[in-house]
Amino acid sequence: MSSVQIILNAVIFGSQLGLLALGLTMTYSILRFANFAHGELALVGAYLTYLFSVNLKLHFLLALISAIGLTGIVAVLSDRLIFKKLREAPALALIIASLGLSISVRHIMSAIWGPDPLGYKQALAKVYNFWGAHITSTQLIILMVAGSAMVFFHLLLHRTKLGKAMRALSDNRSLAQDRGIDVERIITWVWFICGCYAGLGGALIALETALWPELGFQIILPVFCAAILGGVGNVYGAVAGALVLGFAENIGLSINWSSVIDLFKIFRIERMLFIPTEYKTAISFLMLVLVLIFFPTGIMKGRKGH
Amino acid sequence: MEFGSIIVYFTIMIGIFAILALGLNVQYGFSGLVNFGHVAFFAIGAYTSAIVTTAGTPFIVGIILAGLTSAMMGFLVALPTSKLSVGYWAITTLGIGEIIRLVALNEEWLTKGSFGIEGIPQPLSKLIHISNYPVLYLGIVWMFVGLSYFLMAKLANSPFGRVLKVIREEEDLALAMGKPVFIFKLKAMALGASFAGISGSLYAHYITYISPSDFTPIVTFIVWAMVIIGGKGNLVGSIIGAVIIVVFFNSTRYLKDFLPMRAETVASLRMVAIGILVILSVLYKPEGLIKEKKRTYDI
Repeated sequence: MSSVQIILNAVIFGSQLGLLALGLTMTYSILRFANFAHGELALVGAYLTYLFSVNLKLHFLLALISAIGLTGIVAVLSDRLIFKKLREAPALALIIASLGLSISVRHIMSAIWGPDPLGYKQALAKVYNFWGAHITSTQLIILMVAGSAMVFFHLLLHRTKLGKAMRALSDNRSLAQDRGIDVERIITWVWFICGCYAGLGGALIALETALWPELGFQIILPVFCAAILGGVGNVYGAVAGALVLGFAENIGLSINWSSVIDLFKIFRIERMLFIPTEYKTAISFLMLVLVLIFFPTGIMKGRKGH
Repeated sequence: MEFGSIIVYFTIMIGIFAILALGLNVQYGFSGLVNFGHVAFFAIGAYTSAIVTTAGTPFIVGIILAGLTSAMMGFLVALPTSKLSVGYWAITTLGIGEIIRLVALNEEWLTKGSFGIEGIPQPLSKLIHISNYPVLYLGIVWMFVGLSYFLMAKLANSPFGRVLKVIREEEDLALAMGKPVFIFKLKAMALGASFAGISGSLYAHYITYISPSDFTPIVTFIVWAMVIIGGKGNLVGSIIGAVIIVVFFNSTRYLKDFLPMRAETVASLRMVAIGILVILSVLYKPEGLIKEKKRTYDI
């Protein structure tokens, strides 16, 4: 693989991951718990897009937008029905409830659409070649949509009153409350927005590859890694963490490690030494463990656990 | 299957899962450690025992080795994670569970990969006719359940168990009393993992065939459901939780004969039900079906 191709793949994966990580980092810092059902929000978004575009034969863009909005509503509902009742409970209870929710949602999807992989019926993607790399029109769309969604999130955080309230809440909840911010209303908005972004992320991942009930679980570890890597509560950090992870996975898999070991001149390995692609998940996990040991608050400024 | 053998099957599975749940109870119920990778220790126990007994060693060596390797893994897992907050710890253990499954799937020289290990010998199978063998195995499994229960009951009332509960309730208090919290967490993880390893060994020798698909994260979740629903920090609770979940999980298998649904749909719906049950217990009955006995002191 050419190096341009590796960079391209890393950026595409990183941007999909980033959409999920920025929502997770917001709920993590405001509600003080690791939401294990976040991957399933992505799953809901992806399956609703499938429902609208394939089952109901709507135009794909229309299907995507309605699915994203509905995923936001699902996220708000999950808060109203479950997490709101546990605001005063220890983080432990919230984590376990979110795990229960994630299992339920995953299997609801599996009961409706079956366990086998599905794909959105798309017109055949065009392939563009440049500098020894190739990119499909689908991937271009993914990059553009993800990029503009992130710019939109930045504007939301800095140019609107809602965004300022969200940041205040994430920094210091009791101070925000004392300043007259309606905490519960902002939390509802945070859930809605994080649901929308997770839904978009899920739909974009499914658009590039395929859609199956394990998708949410497959993505949750890298998403957590990205959020922790960037520092919990730091939205830009989460996106940066996602990109770092994208690079780590793609570069880690394409390096011939025997030449790396050779650099240290300790011993020599004659044959080529690659990390098998099956261990892709292990790379993001290894990154997570290293980060937790050496930078417990993330590579950018963020908050420790809770 | 006729009715009698179904009952025997259920009782054996309940025993195996009860040991697994007791192991998680040491970690979560007693010490407050949120281990989302419990299936890893179950898998390590099953594979250890399967690998050494198919190579010719007797069952008893297999099951002891299974407990030891799982305990070692539990110790290792606790090393980097014991200093983390609840959320980070949980994420890390979830990752470890997945990595162990990936190793089982990909290291074919050791685990035979996705084909799995077959022909795992059954202990004492020469003593008795094959058709009655499950009843003998039931005895073996429940002997281990009894042993585990006895050990845990001893532990719960020992100074060691009391320190674990202090750590669960208030870690700083335990530190202030001069207890080495980190060491206690390491021991609790290793102990809970060794129970899981023994349970894994019992599973492997009962089914006689294991493959990575037996050790998905769903197993971890099912054991969590048992501990949450039965009641944390409570031994009888874990066993009752195992009874409820195993009976529910396996009896819904026969529903497909009565409902106009495909088997996969029924399988999915029963996981939805268990998930909702866990959420409801957290919301409305956080102490579980059987409440942990706590002594209160008037000051």
